[in-house]
Amino acid sequence: MDSNKKYWKGLEELEQTPAFVKDSKGEFAEPLPIENVLTEAGLSTKTPRRDFLKALGFGVGAVSLAACQSTPVHKSIPYLIKPEEITPGVPNYYASSYNGQSILVKTREGRPILIEPNPKSIGVNRGTDAATQASVLDLYDMSKLKGPKIKGKEADWETVDAQVKAALSAANSAGKQIRIVSSSVNSPSTLSVIAGFVAKYPTAKLVEVDAVSYAGIIKANEASFGKAAIPHYRFDKADVIVSVGADFLGTWLAGEEHTQQYADNRGYKSLENKRMSRHIQFESGLSMTGANADARVAVKPSEEAAVLISLYNAVTGASLSGGLTGNEKAQKVVGLVSKELLNAKGRSVVVAGSNDVALQTLTNAINAALNNYGSTIDLDNVSYQYKGNDSDFTTFLNEAAAGQVDVAFFLNVNPAYDYFDREKVKGALTKIKLKVSFADREDETAELADVLAPNHNFLESWGDSSIREGYYTVVQPTINPVFNTRQAEQSLLVWSDSEVAYHDFVKENWEKTILAGTNRTWTDVLQTGFEYKGDKPAQAYAFAGDINAAAAAAVNGAKALAKDVEVQLYQSVALRDGKQGNNAYLHELPDPVSKVTWDNYVAIAPKFAESLGLGENSVVKVTAENGYEVELPVLLQPGQAQGTISIAVGYGRTKAGKAGNEVGQNAYPFAKLVNGTLQFNTTAKVEKVSKTYELAQTQTHHTIEGRNVIRETTFKDYVKDPAHGSGNHGQKHRTYDLWDKFEAPGHKWVMAIDLNACTGCGACVVACNVENNVPVVGRDEVRRRREMHWLRIDRYYSFEHDGEQVTEEKEIDRLSREDANMDNVSVVFQPMLCQHCDHAPCETVCPVLATVHSSEGLNHMAYNRCFGTRYCANNCPYKVRRFNWFNYWNDSRFDNYLNNEFTQLVLNPDVTSRSRGVMEKCSMCVQRIQGGKLKAKLEKRKLRDGDVNTACAAACSANAIIFGDINDPNSEVSKALRNERVYYVLEEINVQPNIGYMTKVRNTFEA
Amino acid sequence: MSSHNESILREPLVTGKNITYAKVTNDILVPVENKPNAAWWIGFTVAALGALLWVFSVSYTFWTGIGAWGLNKTVGWAWDITDFVWWVGIGHAGTLISAVLLLFRQNWRNSINRSAEAMTIFAVICAATYVVAHMGRPWLAYWIFPLPNQFGSLWVNFNSPLVWDAFAISTYFTVSLVFWYTGLLPDIATVRDRATGLRRRVYSILSFGWTGNVKTWQRFEIVSLILAGISTPLVLSVHTIVSMDFATSVIPGWHTTIFPPYFVAGAIFSGFAMVQTLLLITRKVLNFENYITMFHIESMNKIIMVTGSIVGVAYLTELFIAWYSGSEYEMYAFANRVAGPYWWAYWSMMTCNVISPQLFWFKKIRTSIPISWVLSIVVNIGMWFERFVIIVTSLHRDYIPSSWAMFYPTWTDVGIFVGSIGLFFTLFLLFLRVLPGIAIAEVKLLLHSASHQQKLKLVKEGHLKPEQVEFYKESLDKYDSVSEEEIKELAK
Repeated sequence: MDSNKKYWKGLEELEQTPAFVKDSKGEFAEPLPIENVLTEAGLSTKTPRRDFLKALGFGVGAVSLAACQSTPVHKSIPYLIKPEEITPGVPNYYASSYNGQSILVKTREGRPILIEPNPKSIGVNRGTDAATQASVLDLYDMSKLKGPKIKGKEADWETVDAQVKAALSAANSAGKQIRIVSSSVNSPSTLSVIAGFVAKYPTAKLVEVDAVSYAGIIKANEASFGKAAIPHYRFDKADVIVSVGADFLGTWLAGEEHTQQYADNRGYKSLENKRMSRHIQFESGLSMTGANADARVAVKPSEEAAVLISLYNAVTGASLSGGLTGNEKAQKVVGLVSKELLNAKGRSVVVAGSNDVALQTLTNAINAALNNYGSTIDLDNVSYQYKGNDSDFTTFLNEAAAGQVDVAFFLNVNPAYDYFDREKVKGALTKIKLKVSFADREDETAELADVLAPNHNFLESWGDSSIREGYYTVVQPTINPVFNTRQAEQSLLVWSDSEVAYHDFVKENWEKTILAGTNRTWTDVLQTGFEYKGDKPAQAYAFAGDINAAAAAAVNGAKALAKDVEVQLYQSVALRDGKQGNNAYLHELPDPVSKVTWDNYVAIAPKFAESLGLGENSVVKVTAENGYEVELPVLLQPGQAQGTISIAVGYGRTKAGKAGNEVGQNAYPFAKLVNGTLQFNTTAKVEKVSKTYELAQTQTHHTIEGRNVIRETTFKDYVKDPAHGSGNHGQKHRTYDLWDKFEAPGHKWVMAIDLNACTGCGACVVACNVENNVPVVGRDEVRRRREMHWLRIDRYYSFEHDGEQVTEEKEIDRLSREDANMDNVSVVFQPMLCQHCDHAPCETVCPVLATVHSSEGLNHMAYNRCFGTRYCANNCPYKVRRFNWFNYWNDSRFDNYLNNEFTQLVLNPDVTSRSRGVMEKCSMCVQRIQGGKLKAKLEKRKLRDGDVNTACAAACSANAIIFGDINDPNSEVSKALRNERVYYVLEEINVQPNIGYMTKVRNTFEA
Repeated sequence: MSSHNESILREPLVTGKNITYAKVTNDILVPVENKPNAAWWIGFTVAALGALLWVFSVSYTFWTGIGAWGLNKTVGWAWDITDFVWWVGIGHAGTLISAVLLLFRQNWRNSINRSAEAMTIFAVICAATYVVAHMGRPWLAYWIFPLPNQFGSLWVNFNSPLVWDAFAISTYFTVSLVFWYTGLLPDIATVRDRATGLRRRVYSILSFGWTGNVKTWQRFEIVSLILAGISTPLVLSVHTIVSMDFATSVIPGWHTTIFPPYFVAGAIFSGFAMVQTLLLITRKVLNFENYITMFHIESMNKIIMVTGSIVGVAYLTELFIAWYSGSEYEMYAFANRVAGPYWWAYWSMMTCNVISPQLFWFKKIRTSIPISWVLSIVVNIGMWFERFVIIVTSLHRDYIPSSWAMFYPTWTDVGIFVGSIGLFFTLFLLFLRVLPGIAIAEVKLLLHSASHQQKLKLVKEGHLKPEQVEFYKESLDKYDSVSEEEIKELAK
């Protein structure tokens, strides 16, 4: 409704005085005194000028002060349109696979941050190895190529395509050879792409070569059974396991799968059924597998043949010549083992690590004699993991050197680094007109290539793989390609004039072949991650090879080895063949046995070292037969066979990237080609160099000093009394406590750790690093004993002397002075992490309550509250607290990997990255616990056992770490902790730790 | 404290000829009222360079992080807390001398209490710097105090010995400072009265308007007594609480009930040694020989010997209890001290702290100035090693052998320690220049003029036994406090 009411602002307006009327016409009611100010008088008055200068001075000063502090600008761009799948803060999981293992990739806001095993998969469904865990970091590697290059200059893909196609058609029309050199290709789709490529260019051929070759097994199986393949081993079906130099839990073939199988026969569930396998290891260097063996015999590489021949003789009653002589212990053990093996026919397995056809043939003969084919060894569902053929690669090199090869592609291989004869590779490569590398970085081989066509990281790729017959996994991208890279298969498709996108190609290939005849669709596969067609029934195989010839060849090979110092080349558990050579997580993962990080070294038995005048921190020059020489630091390794040294391959990369360059020395050139297979046992001359070098070890005291931190028993005693050696009195004793009992009314999170299942591999350590943003500190800081690992694996040696286990340093020193035999070393691994004590000594001493107990039994760290007195760490009896000595993530001195915004994308956004001066430690993955509780709450249900798992437990293939709620009597961990073997480390000081350990049980020979 | 009748057997506390109240004032104020001599300048330059090293090392640590030190995951405290405890220990002598000896009417303390208290304050300042410097995030150091805050109801952990420490050290520092300053008031007033110009104005403010009338003196006496009463328990409590940083932990070698008395004895031991180190030089350079006499030196040496013996017994008790406990961790911790990789630290400690003070059983040694000075330094070296042994050798090999590690200091560790000594001496040398190094007013109470005359009278009148006369003559001779004529006169 209109109103005629008028409001007046003053009587003047009401009365409309003339003055008002006049003034109201202007913009301002009163004229502004501008003239006054601008007149000379106004400007010359003292106050305005001075005020102006003051204001100016203050203003300039303030602005310059403010400008001194360069406040970093962090751009965070919100989603304009929210992607359907992505809810910020909620992770998405995608099924994919890595090296043929089905995995789940956790992504947050579109970036992959963690890899977990696919629990529904077959084969390995419980854990992943350290390399798989660490592989997520490779995606965010700043040392990768940002796009294609031609002759060192950046190029675009069109130019690359034009140039490669021109070279291909020129080679094709000239009838020159085209080669695709690759490590084993076990992807059906890739093979199909290559087949199409070969169809287009008939002179093309795929050459498969592996840095560490298993060609010897393939050839031996062809000779013995007419099947050129690697069998599928079933350690879970074996009661007696004999390994001659095979690190089958670590680096030999499918270490992770073997670990799972092996632990099934030795973990707490198996022990509760009074079942445990017996494992005997003959080897030169103390491998992780050897460290887990019930009996381990140190033999020289040259004695491996004799061990197998003696074993064959003992098992079959044959009398082949060339058996063991001189090594009494080995002879005795072979005698005992053969009886065990014969008692366990069809329930045993003998494996050999050598790549020598003769040795593998002998092994086949023994296994065949023990009826192991068809039970523990499956030659009908063969492994496709390693198909590399050393002689094919030699042929390629010869062809190339002869100028017959015009175009060569290098896919996932790096022969200029990892082939023993690098000069031959380099010489051959110069003769090839166009060399195309698919490497993701300008590595040693890519450096020699003309065209760099960088491949996607597997987390950016489509693909598939089949590591054994009937089992297929998919690879699906979890992030858009970060750099201007293109998938190698796509490149090959383009170059063979195919228009199809590789995703469509894979999908079509699956639908046509793998999924044909099933009612599953491509979408189903993307969801489950794999397709398993079921095993064919495994057949028994009769040995059809020439055992005498094999034995003779083995003896000859051994003779060639028995001179100078025998060298065993091995792959380290973390770094393997060196392909992930720029991965800081893996470099800082201590070797399971030596606990050395960031270097390879010459492992040598203390006594032998003494005879060469070597000690801790010595450096030696190792000269190969072919004249190659390196200087390497010495590691005194108990258990190393006398007269031998072991050196890890995979180090000494020169073009790996910022973290991995010049770490250690390249040991590949020590390898040699014998009878068409690469041999990693060789000989060398060793001499002392007058230098010293300190290896960065995370553990420098190696024995337990007789303390009951480690408790162990033998299987024989365990069967009689399951609590034997554990000190577990089943609550029969009354205990007294000054303190009030800690109440955890809801959940109470605890862990059980099975010392008998833990193989020491370290996958949990890397998983913890990735999950919890644990910084990598580098070699120098590890030397200063400042590694940040929240979870470490302690490794203790003990020595058998006169039937007693000697664990005290003083006693060991005395015995070694008395020249006692210290070769009988046994090893135990103990994962050690925050014990989340109910009466936590760290909590009482913190002056500012930065570490406190939760009502769920967790020992929390409030990083923001911590001001770093380190009192808690001093008062921690387990020494599991880690202090941020520096700002590791933003300090140029620790530029291993993380000091750039790109690599920082790997960080888990659920976990704070800690500032300098703050204490940190295992949180039992509290972010996962909270996540699990939230999810259960949203679904309006109670939290179920298994909803929440810690990163370490999830990564453990051996099921050695069990996490859960002890307030739930039916949880897995409650059941495990009711085991008689359970003890608590340092329980006598009454800090009431919440992690129960289960005794180590050794299935030793009965004397 | 008022003078009183003195036994003929008591040796004179202030020696020298023709001592008058004026002479005392003149003698003691020489360094305050004159330009420093070359010796002072040399000392000050060296000390100031040390202080600069301290500034540099601490700044470097603050800039880069605690990683600049040699600490590691196993040894979380080493030189930092060693130095902290060392300085706190040294800071014990001052209060003991000024408070406990006051309550026990040990008048000889009057000559040394001023410097000893100053030393206490500077030593506690040095100690306090470590409290802040050893923190990972020193800019948050104020969180140690239960201050009202905006973090919610966030409070400190009253269970933590570090909180007790913060209270103990800050209380001790405050009380020592107040006690020291209260004692200074009449002396500052003396300086004021003799000064002119700006100096007069400054000292006037510092003297809080001291008038020197009877009421003021009476109140001064009462305040001194009250403060002495308050300080005395602190002498025991501070190092008791510092020892609880270790004693309340679970680490073998730390978890020890003997620590409180053992630490207090050690603190007095090291404190007296440091007083000895400082005063032996000071008395020479500043010509205070008549005030800090052989009697003082000998008395302090006796205290060093007694406390050193207490400490020695404590060391042996620790070893015995470790064995007697039957606890393998405890036994190992002590076996490791004696014969482990840090055996040299343990044996340095034993030699310096247990064996060397036993030399003071010999009067010749206890009254020899050079030997006393050397031994006072040896004692403090030993006391540094004691703390190093307790802290580092207990931590570096505790429960879980996999974590055993060695500690190696970096240049920053060394720089901060050496620098803190420089800082200490810088402060002490500045103190000697601006404030009287000896409590003038209190020394005047000790002048023998009255008692000496009385004693002479007794001798002359023949009221004394001959052996008493002989003793008195000897002491006069020994302390060179009488003229030849007087001796001749007495000999008659």
